[in-house]
Amino acid sequence: MLNKLNFLLILLVTQRKKHFAIFVLSTLLIALLSSVIFLSSSIKKDVYTTLEHQADFTLQRYIAGRVLNTPEAWIDEFMQLEGVENASGRIYGMHYYEPAEQYFMIVGLDFYDTQVIQGMKKLVNGIDIDEFLKRKNMIIGSDVKKFFDEYHYFDYYIFRPPDRSIEKLFIYDKFQTQSDIVSSDMIIMDMANARRILGVQEGYVSDIVLETPNKEELETIQLKLKVSHFDMRIIQKSDIKKYYENLYNYKGGVFLALYSIVLITFGLILFQRYSMISSVDAKEVAILRLSGWKIKEVLCFKLMENFIVILSAYFSGIFIAYFYVYFLDAPLLKSIFLGYSNLANSTTFSPSFSLSDLVLIFLIFVLPFLLAILIPLWKVSIQEPTEVIR
Amino acid sequence: MIKIQNLCKSFTNSTDTFHALKNINLSVQKNEVVVIYGESGSGKSTLLSIIAAIMKPSSGAVLVDEENIVSFSDIHASNYRKNRVGFITQSFHLMDELTLHDNLLAPLVIQNLTKIQIEESIENALTLANILHKKEQRVKTFSGGERQRSIIARAIVNNPDIIICDEPTANLDLANSLKFIEMLKRLKEEGKSIIISSHDELFKSQNFIDRILHIKDGSLG
Repeated sequence: MLNKLNFLLILLVTQRKKHFAIFVLSTLLIALLSSVIFLSSSIKKDVYTTLEHQADFTLQRYIAGRVLNTPEAWIDEFMQLEGVENASGRIYGMHYYEPAEQYFMIVGLDFYDTQVIQGMKKLVNGIDIDEFLKRKNMIIGSDVKKFFDEYHYFDYYIFRPPDRSIEKLFIYDKFQTQSDIVSSDMIIMDMANARRILGVQEGYVSDIVLETPNKEELETIQLKLKVSHFDMRIIQKSDIKKYYENLYNYKGGVFLALYSIVLITFGLILFQRYSMISSVDAKEVAILRLSGWKIKEVLCFKLMENFIVILSAYFSGIFIAYFYVYFLDAPLLKSIFLGYSNLANSTTFSPSFSLSDLVLIFLIFVLPFLLAILIPLWKVSIQEPTEVIR
Repeated sequence: MIKIQNLCKSFTNSTDTFHALKNINLSVQKNEVVVIYGESGSGKSTLLSIIAAIMKPSSGAVLVDEENIVSFSDIHASNYRKNRVGFITQSFHLMDELTLHDNLLAPLVIQNLTKIQIEESIENALTLANILHKKEQRVKTFSGGERQRSIIARAIVNNPDIIICDEPTANLDLANSLKFIEMLKRLKEEGKSIIISSHDELFKSQNFIDRILHIKDGSLG
């Protein structure tokens, strides 16, 4: 065995140019595939973590295909429903930030409502609420801060509400980066300020959120809500989750499809290369067979030779992808995955590294690669060696 | 030692059947040197390939020490080649990027030998083939004669008792062919059985050759 390993090492070193070329190409392909998988996993993880604290139901008044402000009086009605633990109104809307031509999401919170604060815990964790409410303050996402800074709004920003008045709000703090995907374009402020800036009339809210202690009753409560208010859109937490899942699975799927094409091409090139019996490798196999090597021994030897190369490429590719996604924040790929509309691009990704991802990458790349090499080699091995080298 | 009985080999394609070997009967004794003469396409290489257990015949038997190698599975055939046969081809096929020493490792790494035994075997084979001085050089830089001597060294490195040479002097000039013949003499002195296929007249004048046979259209004369 040691003698074989020594011989294997000699062959690897001698044919280093060929192996290095395969190593570089494979590393790039594995790095690309791993980046897509890491990115997708990380985004999903971040979104799920943030959604975990969301309310079970979000209710919006929906008439003629348009979302309208919801009457605040409905909150009391919903509280009467059996199985509903808490109901509260939210005020939110988009603010167009003209200097940078960007839309920010304004969210108004009732900072004394413990359920609401629980829902936004991840974003407002560690904030001294009394201190925050002493004056007109806001907490902003990382992208909002970036655009504010760009136009020198370091301490405050002046909003222009629909009634043409002026609302000056001070920048109190910035959100934690872990929740960037959902919060990077968000501004959180007191409900009253948000109401004025967004022009939401007294007695109305943007939507109503409900909490139910028994998750088994979600479908029953949804049915009751539907019956009581036909002019209402009911969104469950699972719907939002599904939306994000579909969005990133779709984007990841498109990428995987493109990647498959690259991989198949790569496989074909390999297959073609090894099918050409005149190659150095075919001659090598024939010489080994003439020297008394069994078919099994030849295949194991060549498998090991290529396995060393591809395994090195596998780990290098994963390392590069990890560095690219989690340290460099995946330039280029990030724009494709996150887009520009709602979710801004200065998001940082929190590491998500699971064994199943690694196995998936192994199955998608390493296995087909080894098969693409082994099948033609096997074909050469079972031929008469004198025919192969003739 | 080697007994070939009623050996036939046919190749069939979609339209024709070509009979490469027709009812061959031949015996080769231990320490005997046999030269088989014949033109290209007469069946020489096919016969040698069957004796080396590289190719299977259509019918007949090849008994080596009473064992029919024709019925061998890949494992047994490989073991037979590994332990008993040294094959010298007319084209000097070597792993060009490797040194001569590393080329000779190929037949040895599959044997249960220690590192010292491997180095001894290589040293002996290179000395016998008179190419020890090129041991650490890459074979791609070798001349035709040097490549042929390297092939011989590889064929004898595992100390086989049967040496099969398929047109060994076909690509050599006269001087190198004579050197090769000298080497064959030495191998005979070592007690090897040697079967050579050739159409080189040079072998006819060698007195160490025990028998000369002729093959024509797949039949041995």
